[in-house]
Amino acid sequence: MNILEARNLNKTYAVENRRITVLKNISLSIAPGEFVVISGSSGSGKTTLLTLLSGLDQPSSGYVAIQGQEITGATEDELAPIRNRMIGFVFQSFHLVPSMTAKENIMFPAEIMGKKDAEQTALRLLRRVGLADRADNMPSQLSGGEKQRVSLCRAMVNQPKLLFADEPTGNLDSENGNRVLSQLIDLKTEQGATLILVTHNPDIARAADRIMTLEDGRLIQDISRTPGQGP
Amino acid sequence: MMIHPGFIRREIARSSKQAVVFILCVGLSLVTLTAFSGFSKSIHQSLLYDARKLHAADIIIRSYETLSEPLSRAISEYVQEGRVALAKYHEFYSVIRTSDDSTSVLSQLKVVEKGYPFYGEVLLQSGRSLHEVLTSGQVVVAPTLLDRLGLKIGDTIQVGYTSLSIQDVVLSEPDRPISLFSFGPRVFIAAEDLDALGLLQTGSRIRHVNLLKVEDNAQTDVLVHRLSQIADLEREQVDTFQTARSRIKRFFEKFMFFLNLVGIFILVVSGVGIQSTLTALLNEKQYAIAIMKALGATNRHILVHYMVIVLLLGSIGMGAGILMGILIQYGLANLLSVFLPPGTPFLIAWSGLVESAGLGMLVLLIFSFVPLYRLRDMHPVMVLRQDIPVLSSQWPVFACYGMLALFFFGLVIRHMQDVRFGLYFMAGLGGLIMITTLVTYAMLSLLRRQHIQNLAFRQAVKGLFRKGGATQTIMVSMTTALCVIFSIYLLEQNLNATFVTSFPQDSPNLFFLDIQPDQTTAFSKNVDKNVLFYPIVRARVTHVNSAPINRKAEHSKKRDNLARVFNLTYRSHLLDDELILEGKKLYRDDWQEIQVSVLDTVIDMQPMDIGDTIQFNIQGVPLIARISSIRSRTKGSLRPFFYFVFKKETLISAPQTLFSALRVSPEDVGPLQTRVVKQFPNINVIDVSETIRVFAGIMKQLSGIVQGFSALSILAGVLILISSVFATRAERITESVYYKILGAKTSFVVKVFSLENLFIGLTSSVLAVVISQVETYLICRFVLEIDFQMFLLSCISMMAGAVVLVNGVGILSARSILEKKPITYLREQPDA
Repeated sequence: MNILEARNLNKTYAVENRRITVLKNISLSIAPGEFVVISGSSGSGKTTLLTLLSGLDQPSSGYVAIQGQEITGATEDELAPIRNRMIGFVFQSFHLVPSMTAKENIMFPAEIMGKKDAEQTALRLLRRVGLADRADNMPSQLSGGEKQRVSLCRAMVNQPKLLFADEPTGNLDSENGNRVLSQLIDLKTEQGATLILVTHNPDIARAADRIMTLEDGRLIQDISRTPGQGP
Repeated sequence: MMIHPGFIRREIARSSKQAVVFILCVGLSLVTLTAFSGFSKSIHQSLLYDARKLHAADIIIRSYETLSEPLSRAISEYVQEGRVALAKYHEFYSVIRTSDDSTSVLSQLKVVEKGYPFYGEVLLQSGRSLHEVLTSGQVVVAPTLLDRLGLKIGDTIQVGYTSLSIQDVVLSEPDRPISLFSFGPRVFIAAEDLDALGLLQTGSRIRHVNLLKVEDNAQTDVLVHRLSQIADLEREQVDTFQTARSRIKRFFEKFMFFLNLVGIFILVVSGVGIQSTLTALLNEKQYAIAIMKALGATNRHILVHYMVIVLLLGSIGMGAGILMGILIQYGLANLLSVFLPPGTPFLIAWSGLVESAGLGMLVLLIFSFVPLYRLRDMHPVMVLRQDIPVLSSQWPVFACYGMLALFFFGLVIRHMQDVRFGLYFMAGLGGLIMITTLVTYAMLSLLRRQHIQNLAFRQAVKGLFRKGGATQTIMVSMTTALCVIFSIYLLEQNLNATFVTSFPQDSPNLFFLDIQPDQTTAFSKNVDKNVLFYPIVRARVTHVNSAPINRKAEHSKKRDNLARVFNLTYRSHLLDDELILEGKKLYRDDWQEIQVSVLDTVIDMQPMDIGDTIQFNIQGVPLIARISSIRSRTKGSLRPFFYFVFKKETLISAPQTLFSALRVSPEDVGPLQTRVVKQFPNINVIDVSETIRVFAGIMKQLSGIVQGFSALSILAGVLILISSVFATRAERITESVYYKILGAKTSFVVKVFSLENLFIGLTSSVLAVVISQVETYLICRFVLEIDFQMFLLSCISMMAGAVVLVNGVGILSARSILEKKPITYLREQPDA
């Protein structure tokens, strides 16, 4: 069974008296363990597609299912356990809870899930990304790269089956970006998760199993490839 | 520099919720003080407008003795010259009996001459005029007398040594509102029957009032001036209708004094609200201000525009506050109308409103200073780093707080007109705020250091320390407000429990006044008890250490004063509940001169020491005594006590009556009273437990009004809470959205916010209960000297109410935050 299915997705926004269609009739399915890159130029609808696939937003029409469970039309509270157990998010601007330390940010989804070993898992993940000594630092005391690595740990703490990353290296320099990306792929591989990553960076796309390209809200290309091949 | 109205309009519109809270705070700060001080002025103005009716004459001469010869002669001359008309009345208490002596009731008698009242009208049930009905042998009584004695018009009553027939029922009289507290129902008697009553015994407390109607109004002040010069001012009081103090005026002065305290207290709490909400409003603008500065806006430009915003919003708040204040004045006039003479018009005093507007502007400027001053420390770098600005210089802030203290001191003195009480009030309020600040600070610091396992609770605790939050301010204002309300409630309940619900077992409940010295043996036989008689000699204090008493200053004191009439007594021993504070025993053996032992309460009225001299005036005879000891009472009870105690030989030949107090079972009170009065019509019997019950009823009504208004101070705390939620809105949204993105349900977010509010509500109310319990305990034990009860059940329900209020308001004001969808938030992020 596919981990993610989307059928005839449309997303329209009303701006004053105009209606703007951001996504047009997109259908796709993603198999477990795949690393999928969604690419396209700025304004092509990549991030919107990611928000619809992850349940952060609802489509104007169409259907999305995660592991066979339809999430279209689900309320925030119905989506909450799905987000907590099945999905991990990594955002371009990190979105760490400012009032929590690095360790607490990572622990949080595990604690919501009721895991007793949340702290040990958080510390193990921090060690894994080389931030063990920053466990008790507040987000404001971390550099951009460190924040994103904490964000990465937080996304992985409940061993989700689906990992959504929106331009995870967009706010980082190349050195930090490469480091975050390689750790993201390593963690994904270790946990056998599916990674759906939005980027317009061709270097990142080169590492993916499959590249979907959007243009003006339409899926114009969907190429499956061997990692390392040119697009 | 140009003012940009568009910018001002936009800034207000974009922070409309904060602006509304700010306006409400300004309004609240003014509403009660406008209402109370305005009401005092309005009542004064209304009573003055109708003052002739209120006093029933142009000139009023009062005395507790028969008028001095020169004054009496001068009045007679004016009457003969046709310059004034005279009508006298005598007012005193006496026990009225039914003709068969089956029941009796203590009543307030008014023996009036023809001509009374010169102004206003005594309204009778029959619609006839007073003097048409009130002829010799007839009486007019209050309806309550008929109810209590089970009589009807036409029946006969026994008053003193005579029988009189009830002819009519009085509905209202111009110089006394029907509902003003008194020991008994009113009975009007014609002056022709005064001698037949046989009640004008030497030493009885009778108020003699001479009312003069001046034929030429322009002469009033001249006549008063002349009469004042002739009068013996130690015992005779000469006033015009405009200067005379009435019981109504005194009642309102005292009541409004307490309401004004509440008003000032609310002003302090809502002032904190003004500062807190304005800080929140400006914090919200911090990013925008940083950008404006980065683009070249000067500090002055920013300051002027935000000052205009503050003045604009403040003016709306002031307008709303004054308007509400006027409405409350009308509400108060309605609530208290039973205490006003019938038909008194209620006139709003516009000078009070102007004063309120000025006061409002001052409050606004003082409390807005610190938040506006912080604007200059919002630097352009905050575009990148959104920290809370740190003040570059603290001294203007300290100067502002100094001004605040001065402002309040001025306000307290202005409204209380008593420096000592003002200082006590300031110290009390300051102490309360300081204690709550220290305790809440300690609690929050302790909590911050705790390692909390529970996720929701941990997040709630973190929420208490949110950037831009006002947890401590909310807690201090809520605690202080609740503390005042709880204290009033606890004090009232304790007084009620001691004196009303369970009348003290060891206290006498029946007082017998005006017993004549030759009646003691027969009286003891009549009551069939071992009776202790206390001699009473009525006197005034005229000098202390040869310095005359400043009667005007003494009268203006809010507390007990040396200008009133005192009851002196004589005995050679201390009472069971007395102890000597200074001196070795009651009287010194080594002094030859006249000695007096004084109660410590007198020292509280004016500092005095052993060896000092006090001069008394006993019905015209001066008596100088030296203080031989200072006594104190060991417990508050209803046992009789005396401020001045002399040796027997000093007062034995002075005109005197005797007083006695007995403990009688409630069912025996009525029969005993009737039996005593039947044999001794001159003796007055006061059922203390019944009197206290009536008094407690009125006090409950008045304290309810004070408590009701005190509750407004909670509103200030609530407004600070709402503004704090608004001020931390961005942080709360971020938290809420992240919780949801990471898999938390809305119920989790509600739980976190609720726990936060629960902590604030519970801590504030527990703290308020603890402080008010300690405070009430201290007052009960050491000031009132009565037993103290905690009334825990009531306290718990009040605490629960406060917690529900805080939580309800907190969650309601955070509703839009809870409803925020993650995607909406993410889209709003600049780099999302």
